[in-house]
Amino acid sequence: MLDAAFLVRRQAPGLLLSSLCYAGGLAFGLAVSAALLVQAGVPAGALVDEFLIATFLTSDGLAQTLTAALPLVLVGLASAVAMRVRFWNIGVEGQLWLGALAATWIGIDGTGPDALRLPSMLLLSAVVGAAWIALPLALKIRFGVSEVISTLLLGSVAFLLVQHALFGAWRDPATGFPVTTAFAEAARFGSLGWGQLHGGLFVVMIAAVLVWFMLGHTRVGFYADAVGLNPKGARATGLPVSATIVGLVLLSGALSGLAGMIIVAGTEHRLNQSVGSGYLFSAIVIAYLARARPLWVVVVSLALGAVFTAGSVLKVFYGISEGMIVLVQGTVLISILMAQFFSTYSLSRPG
Amino acid sequence: MDFLVGWIAIVPSYATPLLLASLGLIVCERAGILNLGAEGLMAVGAMTGAVAVLSGFDPWAALAAGAAAGTALALLFGIATVVMRADHTLSGLAVVAIGLGVTGVVGRPYMQKTFPGIANFGELFGIERSSALGRILAVQDPVTLAMPVLVALLWWWLMRSGSGLRLRAVGENPAAADVAGIDVQVAQFGAVLVSGLLCGLAGAYLCVATSHVWVEGMVAARGWVAVALVIFARWNPARALVGALVFGSADALVPRLQAIGADIPVYLAMMLPYLLTLAVLVASAMAGRASGEPSFLGRVYLRQDKH
Repeated sequence: MLDAAFLVRRQAPGLLLSSLCYAGGLAFGLAVSAALLVQAGVPAGALVDEFLIATFLTSDGLAQTLTAALPLVLVGLASAVAMRVRFWNIGVEGQLWLGALAATWIGIDGTGPDALRLPSMLLLSAVVGAAWIALPLALKIRFGVSEVISTLLLGSVAFLLVQHALFGAWRDPATGFPVTTAFAEAARFGSLGWGQLHGGLFVVMIAAVLVWFMLGHTRVGFYADAVGLNPKGARATGLPVSATIVGLVLLSGALSGLAGMIIVAGTEHRLNQSVGSGYLFSAIVIAYLARARPLWVVVVSLALGAVFTAGSVLKVFYGISEGMIVLVQGTVLISILMAQFFSTYSLSRPG
Repeated sequence: MDFLVGWIAIVPSYATPLLLASLGLIVCERAGILNLGAEGLMAVGAMTGAVAVLSGFDPWAALAAGAAAGTALALLFGIATVVMRADHTLSGLAVVAIGLGVTGVVGRPYMQKTFPGIANFGELFGIERSSALGRILAVQDPVTLAMPVLVALLWWWLMRSGSGLRLRAVGENPAAADVAGIDVQVAQFGAVLVSGLLCGLAGAYLCVATSHVWVEGMVAARGWVAVALVIFARWNPARALVGALVFGSADALVPRLQAIGADIPVYLAMMLPYLLTLAVLVASAMAGRASGEPSFLGRVYLRQDKH
């Protein structure tokens, strides 16, 4: 019935057609999201104000957008490098939580010389993030356990670990709230004097450039594409398939862990129950919209940073709930997924 | 003994939503469509169930409303995967995002308001809670009682009936099914809708029958546990019943331990169901070849492709 009109897979969809479909899907998804927001009580004029003018064209807004984009770039890259080798890292949030946990451990403990505090937080959060994805990776390689579920389940476990710490040993003794005490000055990124923007910017820039260089200008990117397109073929050709998968997946975990560190050391200066929430879908959406290309990850992260910034303003002024951001992401994602149809297939009536 | 009785009594109410959702997923995946959206479908079902009861509907009508809401969201998933041939994994994740997002946006005014649920056997038949058996039976509800029947019917339909065979053929070899005159897309679309119906019902049951209150995020990864349960069950409804009971027992253990005042680290104990799921996944993977996974699961069928 649904196949009555003949679908034919296009050999190589042209650049124009695929960009048109991508843009069309994006526009449709954004239009639906805008309609949802208007339905929820935000005046249409305010949408343009908040999403475009207040987030990119004012100094405060732009600083806020950039700050919000920092961890998004890292989780976007994390999702993208794993996607390149067809590994679904659905545990980005878990690795991020553990990275934040590790950074907090050094941040509130405060042992060792001050100069080493931030570097050791960076290193440990990346190592812990990588270690947390190593288990699902090993299970997949050794036993063929689907990483979609194992990474996600370990994400829940990581969050419960954070809860355990926050409601136990690390609870703020002054107030009794489930947040840690504030980090010492040495465990915070310095302010750059523009809004909340902090020294984590440089960490993120370096990470993005390194990943971009590695995937675009070394053999790793070539291996990754070969593995992503056809692992059996790549193995038969003698490419280091396992090493590529292991390396990029561990890198994915490390980047997520770093994102957790950037959040606690950059903006929050403490660990609380909300630092890591909402990053899972953001990571997937960014990586997919950016087609797993590092430079595009940065661009899409900036756009999503604006959505986060505008969202927090809308939350205050129009009572828009947290869920709206997730809903917008899901809507845009599925609308672009569906729009691919028109560039992948052509219709031809039989007979 | 007291602890054991209390534990056994609540296991069915923990197992039922997991079982309902995984039965839905089994039907869907037997038709070759990988459905990772269960978490979102359940969330929508739970929220809709709560909204319906709080708007004055009968709890049974609320269960139906939850099932309908799950079906509606599955319709979107079906359009994306079956009609538009979108990637199953990403579409499923988008459905989770949409489901969780919608519940956060629509459900907020209904948060943390308690409401009456469906009547249990104690209220329906006036069962005495004096004996251990009485205490166990009194807290059961008609939905849990219907579960073995549903499992038996579904097993018979999938494994023994002609239309069940046709559905499985679509998931195993859609090209052959197509040649045999089965409309692959219609079968897949129907299977997707069934998964939405059962997952929505699972969510509504969680909310209307068990907790009698709705809070954001109350599905708490049960949708994902259901996805894992399908693998454990090797896409077989009968094994899903066993699996759901095992998972339900683990899930029910923590609140029971807390109820008797055991001094355990709560959040560490709450990891048990997730770790158990992981262990079971590893065990099923190690058990080997005959996993029962439909051969064409998660792939896009196009008549013109050579498969």
